[in-house]
Amino acid sequence: MLWLALILPELPLQVFSRAATVEDALAITEAQPRPQIIAANPLALAAGVRPGQRVASARAIAPGLRLQARVPALEAEALAEIAAWAGTYTPRISLAPPDAVLLEISTSLRLFGGAGVIEATVRSGLARLGFQALTAFAPTPLAARWFARSATPPGPAAAWLDRLDTLPLAVLADGTDVRGDTLELLHGIGLATLGEVRRLPAAGLARRQAQAVLAASARARGEHPDPKAWFVAPPQFEREITLPAPTSHTEPLLFAARRLFASLSGWLQGQHAAVDRCRLSLLHEHASDTVLEIVTGRPSRDEARLVMLAREHLAALSLPAEVAGLRLSADNPASLAPRPDDLFGDPARAGESAMLLLDRLRARLGNGTVRQFEPHADHRPESAWHMTGAEGARRARSAPADRVQAHTTRPLWLLRAPRRLDPHAFSLLGEAERIESGWWDERDIRRDYYLARGPDDALWWVFRELDPPGHWYVHGYFG
Amino acid sequence: MGAATSSLHSTDRALAGLPPGLVWQASRLAQQRGPVLGTGFAELDAELPGGGWPTGALIELLADQPGVGELSLLLPLLRRTPQERWMAWIAPPFLPYAPALAATGVPLGRLLLIEPQHPDQILWATRQAVSSGSCAAVLAWPRRIDAAALRRLQLAAEDSATPLFLFRPRAAATQASPAALRIALAAEGDRLRVEILKRRGPPAALPLCLPVRPWQPQASASGSESPAAPGSRAGPPALAIVG
Repeated sequence: MLWLALILPELPLQVFSRAATVEDALAITEAQPRPQIIAANPLALAAGVRPGQRVASARAIAPGLRLQARVPALEAEALAEIAAWAGTYTPRISLAPPDAVLLEISTSLRLFGGAGVIEATVRSGLARLGFQALTAFAPTPLAARWFARSATPPGPAAAWLDRLDTLPLAVLADGTDVRGDTLELLHGIGLATLGEVRRLPAAGLARRQAQAVLAASARARGEHPDPKAWFVAPPQFEREITLPAPTSHTEPLLFAARRLFASLSGWLQGQHAAVDRCRLSLLHEHASDTVLEIVTGRPSRDEARLVMLAREHLAALSLPAEVAGLRLSADNPASLAPRPDDLFGDPARAGESAMLLLDRLRARLGNGTVRQFEPHADHRPESAWHMTGAEGARRARSAPADRVQAHTTRPLWLLRAPRRLDPHAFSLLGEAERIESGWWDERDIRRDYYLARGPDDALWWVFRELDPPGHWYVHGYFG
Repeated sequence: MGAATSSLHSTDRALAGLPPGLVWQASRLAQQRGPVLGTGFAELDAELPGGGWPTGALIELLADQPGVGELSLLLPLLRRTPQERWMAWIAPPFLPYAPALAATGVPLGRLLLIEPQHPDQILWATRQAVSSGSCAAVLAWPRRIDAAALRRLQLAAEDSATPLFLFRPRAAATQASPAALRIALAAEGDRLRVEILKRRGPPAALPLCLPVRPWQPQASASGSESPAAPGSRAGPPALAIVG
């Protein structure tokens, strides 16, 4: 077993600051037991605001300080979001509220290339979600948690028990039922590290109600079992993010949306799933939500691709009101097998980027402007082809060549509507081809088609109506 | 005199023996960086640097009229569009006629017809199509374009090694352009007159006349006997009735 502990000491602050592009001085307050500051961002710290300060004195020090009451529900949600996202790295995840997530990574070491690599990628991934964590790994969950909490520099893996002994006593309060007065007692008798506590006689400690200390130490050292409840990611994805201030600019919205897409991508990887559509709702304060349907064309869990599509949607959007928050939901993930890494390049890659282009064009220009067509068996030039929407483009087909009449000459350009011609503006070439068809569907035509040479030797496809008044028209160009 | 001539000849021989690219000679075509795509017309290949369409470059085709054979010139290239890559047609002036394209062997399943509403969107779509790298060729008919936009397109084409064909009116030849290749097209009888206005290398001396429509001679053979104006044609024509 190898446990990676993620501890987010700044979580009460980061649930608010993660969506902010521009920082202003922000501090989180708690009403109980007395109104005080519990966390402050760098700008507030620079102004002299400190955790533990009374709210009134913080206000006096920094008049421009924005105060935000702590919202424990948001923190719990954020923790669940991180756990769901961490499914990318391991299926065995355990929540340790209020501010920790534990990952059991022993089975993922080979895939990712070692514990150090996992730790580094988890940190950078968390930064994309907008969180900063203290991380450490150890063979037991409690020890990993303590190492992370005390920010112990990593040492040789074999000597982890020795390093555990050097930890300060304060870590005993984390993740155990050791009471504050017990810690005070131990401090009082002059102890500073876990090693010193362990060397005390067990019977004496037990007599002084310090049994919990021994139990915690045994769990941390792996002498007692420490079972954990595994976190199960929700089957549907719905996350919300609150903007620090309502805005109608695209960049801050996109910045916040990126957090959500990073989270979605991690959740999808953990589920071995992909989505072909998701919904980004822009929450307004006094108007109904603006909903963007983001359709990816083919199931995908690529964060960059989703962000790119969201950017195109946002760029084309005019907002009715300022946006106060974003919600991303994806309710029908489809399972997606991981693509095997191919030594000789990835054949699916080209198709992927072809679809990406299609998605991108459709997102910006609208569905109807990107089309494909195919021949249709009909003698009338107007009916001899079909437009298919971008939906049809998904199927990679080529037109069956046998259906196409290769014996006749047809122009490469067709005019959408035939253009009336002056009969003296061109000269005819070759023989007529009579096309007389369509009596059954009200689009009856009776025409004689000719090749014709227009001015400057251009080659035209012209016809004459057989019915009076028998005008001449050009219907195509031999481009 | 004789000695001077022979030394001149030996210089020529020495120059000819140099590896290509080491010494550039003004009389020779430039070496094309990167691969080229054969045009399908041997005469044209001989006139183009590297022997074909440059892959990562902006190519301007200047023609005033539709119907001179401007698409037929590209058909050999379009026919070779591989699976999983698009050929993007952006804002063509008319409808590409599906039965005719299919009959010439162009894989219609790979053809993407993009018709943006605004001139700016045309340029945007063109740049996206070029820089995505997923197009075997991009054909665009911009309604208006300035030097900066041309430059951006040229850079995008270079970066993604996608050939971009821009169709512009003949009058655009007077404007400067970063295009690697500029070709003026006109019909001359049954053939397509190809005039290379700009290429990497010495200016092309004479315009080429390419038979881009192999089916045409037999169609025009009967017509050339009496290319009469339709108004003066007496009696009903000989008919080939279809449908």
